[in-house]
Amino acid sequence: MGRDWRAFGSRRDREAENVLIVDNLHAGYNASEVLVGTSLEVKKGTLVGLIGPNGAGKTTTMRAISGIIKPTKGRVLFDGRPVHGKDASRIARMGLAHVPEGRHVFGPLSLEDNLLLGGYSRFPRFFGFRARANADLDRVYSIFPRLRERRKQPAGTLSGGEQQMLAIGRALMSDPKVILMDEPSMGLAPVIVEEVFATISRLKETGIPILLVEQIARGALKVADYVYVMERGRIVIEGRPSDLQKDERVIAAYLG
Amino acid sequence: MTAAVIAQLIVSGAFMGLVYALVAYGFQLTYATSKSINFGQGEMVMVSAFVSLSLTNAGLPYWLMVPGGLLFGAVIGLFVERAGVRLALEQKSEGWILLTIILGLFFFSASENIWGRDDRPFPTPIPSQAIQIFNIDITPLEISVAVGVLTIMGLIELFKRKTLLGKAFDAVSADRDAAELMGISARRTVMLSYALSGLSAAVAGILVSPITTVGPTMASALVLKAFSVAVVAGLDSGFGVVLVGLVLGALESMTSFLIGSGWREAPGLALLILALSVRPAGVFGKALIRKV
Amino acid sequence: MVKRLLFIHGAELGMLLFLAAIPLIVHNTFALGLLTLLAIYGILLIGLDVTVGYLGQINLAQAAFLGLGAYTAGLTVSHFGFGMAGALLASTVVGFLFGTLLAFPALRLEGPQFALATLSFSALVATVLNEWESMTNGAQGLSIIRPTFFGLTLHAQGFYWLCLALLAVVWIGMNNLLSSQWGRAFEALRDSPIATDAMGIGVYRYKAAAFALGSGLGGLAGGIYAFNFQYLQPQIFVYELMVILLLGVVLGGRKSLWGAFVGAVLIVLLPNLLSNRALFRTLATAGFLAALLAGGRGYFRKTTRPFQAIAPVISMGLLVLVALTMPNTEDLRKAIFALMLFSVVVGLPEGLMGFAGKFLAKLFRIDPPALADPAPLAGVLRKREFSGSMLLELKNLKRYFGGVRAVDDVSLIVRPGQVHGLIGPNGSGKSTLVNVISGLYAPTGGIILFKDAPLATGSLYKAAHVGIARTFQNLQIFSELTALDNVMVAMKDTYKKPLPLLLLGLGMGEEHCGQAGALALLDMVGLRDEARTRAKDLPYGAQRFLEIARALARNPDLLILDEPAAGLAHSDVKKLVGIIREIHNNGITVILIEHHMEVVSELCDVVTVLDGGLVIAEGRPEDVKRHPMVIAAYLGATA
Repeated sequence: MGRDWRAFGSRRDREAENVLIVDNLHAGYNASEVLVGTSLEVKKGTLVGLIGPNGAGKTTTMRAISGIIKPTKGRVLFDGRPVHGKDASRIARMGLAHVPEGRHVFGPLSLEDNLLLGGYSRFPRFFGFRARANADLDRVYSIFPRLRERRKQPAGTLSGGEQQMLAIGRALMSDPKVILMDEPSMGLAPVIVEEVFATISRLKETGIPILLVEQIARGALKVADYVYVMERGRIVIEGRPSDLQKDERVIAAYLG
Repeated sequence: MTAAVIAQLIVSGAFMGLVYALVAYGFQLTYATSKSINFGQGEMVMVSAFVSLSLTNAGLPYWLMVPGGLLFGAVIGLFVERAGVRLALEQKSEGWILLTIILGLFFFSASENIWGRDDRPFPTPIPSQAIQIFNIDITPLEISVAVGVLTIMGLIELFKRKTLLGKAFDAVSADRDAAELMGISARRTVMLSYALSGLSAAVAGILVSPITTVGPTMASALVLKAFSVAVVAGLDSGFGVVLVGLVLGALESMTSFLIGSGWREAPGLALLILALSVRPAGVFGKALIRKV
Repeated sequence: MVKRLLFIHGAELGMLLFLAAIPLIVHNTFALGLLTLLAIYGILLIGLDVTVGYLGQINLAQAAFLGLGAYTAGLTVSHFGFGMAGALLASTVVGFLFGTLLAFPALRLEGPQFALATLSFSALVATVLNEWESMTNGAQGLSIIRPTFFGLTLHAQGFYWLCLALLAVVWIGMNNLLSSQWGRAFEALRDSPIATDAMGIGVYRYKAAAFALGSGLGGLAGGIYAFNFQYLQPQIFVYELMVILLLGVVLGGRKSLWGAFVGAVLIVLLPNLLSNRALFRTLATAGFLAALLAGGRGYFRKTTRPFQAIAPVISMGLLVLVALTMPNTEDLRKAIFALMLFSVVVGLPEGLMGFAGKFLAKLFRIDPPALADPAPLAGVLRKREFSGSMLLELKNLKRYFGGVRAVDDVSLIVRPGQVHGLIGPNGSGKSTLVNVISGLYAPTGGIILFKDAPLATGSLYKAAHVGIARTFQNLQIFSELTALDNVMVAMKDTYKKPLPLLLLGLGMGEEHCGQAGALALLDMVGLRDEARTRAKDLPYGAQRFLEIARALARNPDLLILDEPAAGLAHSDVKKLVGIIREIHNNGITVILIEHHMEVVSELCDVVTVLDGGLVIAEGRPEDVKRHPMVIAAYLGATA
């Protein structure tokens, strides 16, 4: 596996044992409270899966961690420091990369610009960012060769799978201390989904801790070191994939 | 009505149209990042022009006065954002419409009392002797308008395309939440857009004052037409404003000559209402996809 | 009941009699002039409130309509010899017509573009009035003769009573109108244009009507303005006047006839307020203290944002400074208005009447009028007539967004009377599919047949009118309306009385009918006791049920429920199942998008499964759940 992958994640020199701690989180939108006491941990060097049926609150959990919505109760500790209630941009600059559900690439901007913006917190803002970014850009392109071909294209014209690769590449450009990945398989054809999971496996080998939300449980179960199952705003089952594979409760949670 | 006269009218008008385009460009900057515009922008142009005038009268040489005026414009833009826009944006309401109108009124009144109600001449080192190009009279002042407008717009566009901060600007315009996830503070970007908008208003003021004099009439005269240009071109269209500005300026000039100077305003206003009826998103603008 | 009538209308009647009686007691021409002005501004502000208060849009053209009405009145007298009644009618009609004309471009606009359109119109009118010297005498001004009123020559007192009578007529008419379906529709428009369209309420129609109404009143006010001052100049009807009008509406209180009246009082007294320095200083200081108190309270209790608490204190503080230090307040008029308006918009957005209303409601506890008895449900959900075998047929339906194929060749059939489930993982295209069916998006390709006829696509309004109703994944309730009003506004085929009759207050019959029907539906979803609660104050689960009741008010052939159980507590999910069952028993066909599998299993006769914009399975719930492709779609392929 190339040096390219491992070059990312160099910021994690003095990581805490628990990179991310979520403690009794409550959050919601307007009148409805979606999360009613979610707790989970992401340990150094692991990939943690968060699965569960739709409406369970997985995406809400991600957004409450990364700061897009503010939790009403509970704590989020990133690298030992409390981040609940802080602005999303501040948390991102601390090294938390969130690859959002639906990818949310910047449509009118070129693919390369999207990648450059991924490194916004690391590169100089006015001039000289290209020089600094070139090495990282090259690395992302060697990991995702298809992106190099389309580097000047507006991101909105890319296919779903390419946008997903771009979104992951964008996260890598920030040299993150932890990656939150929200339903990378959403809306993608099965063939592409396989590619995405292969990418996630390789991402795992860099040692960057990952919190992976997936609706496709089996994909998550295959790559994760530890899995949490959410239902109706709280964690209902947790454990190692090997223990959960045969657990009927997991299937029941999805299909009743 | 010879061709020469028409050509003269068109050219002179087009230069003024560039000033409208610049103010309209300022609107686009703030609309892009925050879906809001400063309804009191005309008053801002006027106040910046007056401040620049005072700086000149205080003895500052032209080349020092310009950055001073620009700085003031940027600061006033920041003030408008803080006092008139931010609250409404946080509440996801459109209260900024009324609030920016109110701020504009306040500045108008303050300026009336500080600098008086008369139109004042604006000294400039640029000569006013017209030169002839293809039999059309063009003054160096008018050329300076074109140079100034296109330079500022060009510089800001360059900023947006070549610097990372500029790209961040476009990112916030495209998808605010996703931009935040990149570590870009949407709030600071909105502040920047208002500062740039105020700065372009100040440039417009400095460029046009030697021609039209500085005074209370400046505000309303300028802003409605800038609105027309911005809306007709589309609040999210970029360089379309230059084209529409040129056309509007020329139209105005012709109307003034053919029908009467009091009717100057009419084409811009009628154009605005017509354009809004046919294409609410603007001639060059993009329609929105509704999400439920 | 009598007590209530007496309280509300008693106050109005009392004020009217009081105002009418003043000239008999006080023989002061100056005071009389002020009172006449009060009537003029009262009518003007009531008109402005329709767009600003009810529709929630910033209308910057009202001063222009005042001008148009004024000049029309004057010119019809001098050029055509109209009497006063005729002239006033003409000015109202002119205001109304121009309002309708302006409504066409303004119709499609929201927020800033709407404000800009009205602003441009205003400037255009000012230009025309100034330049068309042959008619208007331009900047030199136009002298107006006050004509006779049906032969009677009206002097100051008589004219005043006429103006007061007009105000009373406008007040009663608007009161009747705004308590009818029109008032509800205006507010619905403001709270959610999408849901308004989806409930078959013509957004364009009502917006245009509201605007034209407000402009017509502006024209009428202009007419009496002309005959009051008997001299007009275009410079009067400018931006500054418009801001004063806005000040009146906002400070008085939006969405309230009394608010418009209080605002008018303020505007009339304002110039006198400014010239009396002692009074100005006292009031400014009082205002400052009020801002300090309210701001402090809000800041420390965290009920308002810091800016909202602090900014009014600063602006009022500046006002006090001006009052104490500036010798000539006249020159600083605009700045003073600006400071006042700023403080109110930021610190007291509901205006004085909004604020006082809460107090008065606590002081005088009046019971609201009794609600009608709910109608029998069968009367509301009348039988459907479609007898074919396919209610809805989709053939090769496609909807793309740029490169993303949200719906990629979907064909399906929904049979009448069934509960048809639509499930699939996130991003599979379920919501997009129903958004195309209900008319929010037009399809990129394919055909939709509804009741054996091609369905008009891309229009929520048209879909609503052929019998499709829906709820939304992200709630689109009319938050400021009560639960009852939310359902009443959507009632199908209930409000047929034309506008003139409604103005006269003759719509009570259909109101009663609508109320009875709406209560039946609220009862069905268990919200009858919350009928008078404002939708935004209801708990989340209740809001979801309210949306269902509102959709049922359409008596639809096809009801689309988009994730109705999202975010519901377990007990509410059970309630939901019961409600959907009852809907089914009434013969309504349902398309149900859901993730709660037990709900789907319990209710659905047939289930279609989508993945990646394509149909991957269809059949009975228990068969579909065991289908390998469906399991793979949700859980991933095995090994």
